[in-house]
Amino acid sequence: MRHGRREMGEDAAAKGPRARAIEAFNLPLFLKRNALLIAFSAFIMVMPAWASPLSKPLGIPIILTMRLVGVYAIVAVGLNLLMGYAGQVSLGHGAFFGIGAYTSALLTARAGLPVWVGIPCAVLVALIFGVLLAPVLRLKGHYLAMATLAMGIVIFVFMREMTWLTGGNDGVRNIPDLALPFLKVTTTQGEFYYVWVIAIVALALCSNLVNSRVGRAMRALHQSEVAAEAMGVPVSSMKKRTFVLSAALGGLAGALFAHLQGFIDPNQFSILLSISLVTMVVIGGMESVWGSVFGAGLITFLPKLVEALPRWLGDVPDWLEKYSNYEGMVLGVIIMLTMVFMPSGITKGLVDLVRNRRSPFVNPFRRKAVD
Amino acid sequence: MGFNIIFNSTGIINFAQGEFSMFGGLFAYTLAVSLSLPLYLAVLLALVITALIGAFMERLLIFPLRRASVLVAIIATIGASIFYKSLGRILWPKEAYKVPEFTPGNISLPGATISRQSLWVFGLTVVSVTAVYLFLNHTRAGKALRACSVNRLAASLVGINVARMSLYSFILAATLGGVAGLANAPYASYSIGLFLGVKGFTAAVVGGLGNTFGAVTGGIFLGLLEELIPGFLTVVLGVSTGYKDAVAAVLLIAVLLSRPQGILGRGVVEKV
Repeated sequence: MRHGRREMGEDAAAKGPRARAIEAFNLPLFLKRNALLIAFSAFIMVMPAWASPLSKPLGIPIILTMRLVGVYAIVAVGLNLLMGYAGQVSLGHGAFFGIGAYTSALLTARAGLPVWVGIPCAVLVALIFGVLLAPVLRLKGHYLAMATLAMGIVIFVFMREMTWLTGGNDGVRNIPDLALPFLKVTTTQGEFYYVWVIAIVALALCSNLVNSRVGRAMRALHQSEVAAEAMGVPVSSMKKRTFVLSAALGGLAGALFAHLQGFIDPNQFSILLSISLVTMVVIGGMESVWGSVFGAGLITFLPKLVEALPRWLGDVPDWLEKYSNYEGMVLGVIIMLTMVFMPSGITKGLVDLVRNRRSPFVNPFRRKAVD
Repeated sequence: MGFNIIFNSTGIINFAQGEFSMFGGLFAYTLAVSLSLPLYLAVLLALVITALIGAFMERLLIFPLRRASVLVAIIATIGASIFYKSLGRILWPKEAYKVPEFTPGNISLPGATISRQSLWVFGLTVVSVTAVYLFLNHTRAGKALRACSVNRLAASLVGINVARMSLYSFILAATLGGVAGLANAPYASYSIGLFLGVKGFTAAVVGGLGNTFGAVTGGIFLGLLEELIPGFLTVVLGVSTGYKDAVAAVLLIAVLLSRPQGILGRGVVEKV
């Protein structure tokens, strides 16, 4: 992918700035640039065929869980654009997820609109909230992290307390299933494809975006805002646009989530959701679209794995039987170990291992001359 | 205040600060009620244990991350917070525990009744603030800690062991967190961690991050607002008190956007 970009850059330089637009469609180059995306799509398309028979012996409903992985992948990729590429921390993205979920749920379950109207409306509302909340991006580092966290709390409290609209802790029930204009999607497999087609489109958009002019601008401002500004990157508006885009993706994912679950309540969108979204991005690997997908998969499957593990082992002592209580501990330990030994995330570490033959682990305990 | 001490000397915001309070309260419960130790001994031991947890956390998690980016450090402390919380949930499976009050009963004054516990809370605050003040201003270690908060590189150049100071600050912060948990003790529960963390940070920010005693002012201010605003809303507008939880968050955003150096903090000039 990196190689292809350089070729394109030289081409464009030779033919002038307009050359890119009229560049003839080059199939081998297209395949090369999107190889990962195509391979992943193929993997997803055939997944139900091999995963369904496996679900039973493993005791994990793979396809059922994969639907949620798709949902979280959408929001995690959006968040990665903001955090990994543009370098702006957001600990409140669960709020946009919740806003999307509530918008679509209320429009379809209460106002009776069709689902395919509800989802775009959810994206729109999340986008509007993104625009309204974008001023927090003036802050940096810890302050930004805490302000976005506070933002998440405020929106969570409002979701809980505005009972006339959201139903408070009782939530919204009977949210209709996912549907296309003339087609109802009822089976788990149908939902799986519905979610993943949308997710793959979002992934394709994001992975192209990060290699475009805009993506380079984002990374530039991550490195140094001053340098980026000096090179002509509109830093503040670029940050805001990235924030709004990731908010919109959050809204989209939230809407899909609401229709998959059929029932939502505010506690599903508390700070813990925001934190697990950030965890997905960081564990998977910052500045890596595929890392987010991996992170989403890992964090979503982890509770199921922890739950299923005692059953695989068969006869286990009683204190292990209640292993599901240990989910938080396992998650906490994984987060801490990853941050200490592989701070650039698991996928990045693996890529390093394969491509550069370099150990992905760092030894943080080694002392250096200047600490 | 614990937040501020850690932030000052290590530049890290410790999201697990709230969990220190949880441990303080819950260990005191276990020691006092389950092992039926005398209360003062239980309290003292609980503080020692909490301080030890803080020390271990610094050595195993924060020290290795001293060169890492802000985000990595934040996520790591969040990981620690998640870990502590579920550990707490396993060790203390009930929702809430009641630690015996230090001295039960109420004191009747003309026109008001005060529970003795709230006097204890007040007294503990005064004592711990004074103790920290004396430590920071009149001991060698305290002065070194302050030097680290001004400029870590310069501090290391004049021979201060910055890594050790970071350890001290975690111990101190954990102990303070433990005291806070004890003061809150009749209502100790494992779920207080995160909200307490946000409130602690708000207090620190409102008072000015990097200004240790600003945090005390910020804490008092926040506590007052949290009681006054929802009361006002309920009486005047007739909405539910559930909005109380949002007060700290709204205040945090407002202060950050309008006066990022805090109400008491001095302006910071950013150089490029």
